[in-house]
Amino acid sequence: MALLTPTVLILIGLVLYPFFYAIWLAFSDKTVGSPGQFVGLKNFIYVLGWPQFSTAVMNTVVFTVSAVSIKFVLGMAVALVLNQQIRGRNFFRAFLLLPWAMPAFVVYLVWRWLYDPLSGLINYALIDLGLIASPIAFLSDRSTAMSSVIVAHAWRNFPFYAISFLAGMQTISQELYDSAQVDGASRVRQFRHITLPGLYQIIGVVLLLTTIQTANAFEPVYLLTGGGPSDATMVYTMLVYVMGMMNLRLGEAAAVSTLFLPLLIGLVLAVTVLLQRKANNA
Amino acid sequence: MRETLSMRVTTYALLALFVFMVAVPLFWMVATALKTNKDLYEDFSYLPTRPTLQHFVRVITREDLLTNIWNSFAVASVTTVVTVLVSALAAFSIVRYRYWGRDWVGRLILFKYLLPTAMLFVPLYAIVVALGLGNTLKALMLTYLSFTVPFCTWMLMGYFRSIPPELEEHAMVDGCTKLGALFRILLPLSAPGIVASAIFSFTLAWNEFLLALVFTTDHTTMTIPIKLSMMVVGDQYIWGQLMAGAILASVPIVFLYFLGQRFVVQGLAAGSVKG
Repeated sequence: MALLTPTVLILIGLVLYPFFYAIWLAFSDKTVGSPGQFVGLKNFIYVLGWPQFSTAVMNTVVFTVSAVSIKFVLGMAVALVLNQQIRGRNFFRAFLLLPWAMPAFVVYLVWRWLYDPLSGLINYALIDLGLIASPIAFLSDRSTAMSSVIVAHAWRNFPFYAISFLAGMQTISQELYDSAQVDGASRVRQFRHITLPGLYQIIGVVLLLTTIQTANAFEPVYLLTGGGPSDATMVYTMLVYVMGMMNLRLGEAAAVSTLFLPLLIGLVLAVTVLLQRKANNA
Repeated sequence: MRETLSMRVTTYALLALFVFMVAVPLFWMVATALKTNKDLYEDFSYLPTRPTLQHFVRVITREDLLTNIWNSFAVASVTTVVTVLVSALAAFSIVRYRYWGRDWVGRLILFKYLLPTAMLFVPLYAIVVALGLGNTLKALMLTYLSFTVPFCTWMLMGYFRSIPPELEEHAMVDGCTKLGALFRILLPLSAPGIVASAIFSFTLAWNEFLLALVFTTDHTTMTIPIKLSMMVVGDQYIWGQLMAGAILASVPIVFLYFLGQRFVVQGLAAGSVKG
């Protein structure tokens, strides 16, 4: 069909071709300005034996798992609250979605300023409240950097979970809750046996999409810590950027991103299987 | 009903907590932009004691931020117009016709979801340079299609499926062409979906970071996210101006979002859940 031509050209030229080109790069010794030769598995062997790579794998897993869990719990809690009959619900709904409506780069710049050890709000407030005696260097201390990045990322992204779950909750029939009430089921039981099963499909889609997005997040790390201090927040996207754009080692950068692809696909398959099993049991 | 009373208290307590959590960073962004440098770095105060617009003035006159905002606007607008047109045609074709390779395109679109920009930016950069588009806004307008088109095609497919094909069939019986049926029947009926996909592609293009960081290298071609991120390293006492810039960069997007909030939520539902 002729109508499809532009889309097919875009998919081939800007998705498939770059994809295969990236894989070819991973098997070559290309640098900027030289055409590059096929070098077999050399880049992969180098990358796999390299401590910075395993650090990046660990950090990406830690970042993804904790960020997704926090966003899930927070998003679910917000959706449950907004699903109650509260005064000014439309206003609160719009307000609580604001972080997600803001550009991500703005959010991370704001958080960088909030975390500032010299004049940041968080340090001032904590000292003011008498909770700490001296400022904490949230982003440049190894023990706090990763959690600080995760918090900022969760703050910006939880609303997507909240609106998705809220939309799902609103399709669940009120009659189910009414009859559960008559049977004397507690709120917790109602949540476990009515709300959650009613949301399985949406939970599945949301987890799938956001796990991929979270694992591929670049901006929170680039804008907050740049991967530091001493690689404490070096996730794999940041590593690819550092290797490719700063060290100009294109082959090895491509090898890092190529190695992550099966990991991502595996993650997606695992989530899909898990959810299908859940949905079948329900 | 004691349970409902305690429920209500819990609900409002949680609501207050969430509102506080969301409000603090937003408040701090605005307060910082309005404070004097003295209030920011010497006498700390939670509220701006002498509110001033000097940071807004400075960020526009000294940092020439309007150029970068204009760059972002140009890139996002061109991307959006091309995306909506291309995606609507593709979605129409995929949903309404049967032919070889149709499912294959759908699968390719899903595959794109999986491919991280981190993997594609080096090859895309090579393409951009080969086309002679290095350090130009055209490079961004072209490469942004790689994510806006799959996303919006997918979303519009969900919308078009929800509209019964009989309406277009009747129109075609009455002598309307296939494209006529698309433009006169299907597009007007799926106006919310079109609006949603336009808002999404504009927002995605406005917010895009990694490709813009790699492709544009000087202050006159940078889009707003890159310009602001470059200002962080420049000067220790830049936060007032940076937050003023952050507000300027957010306003168009937040405005668009609330304008189309209803459509956006519907669009997500149509694209991701029913699709």
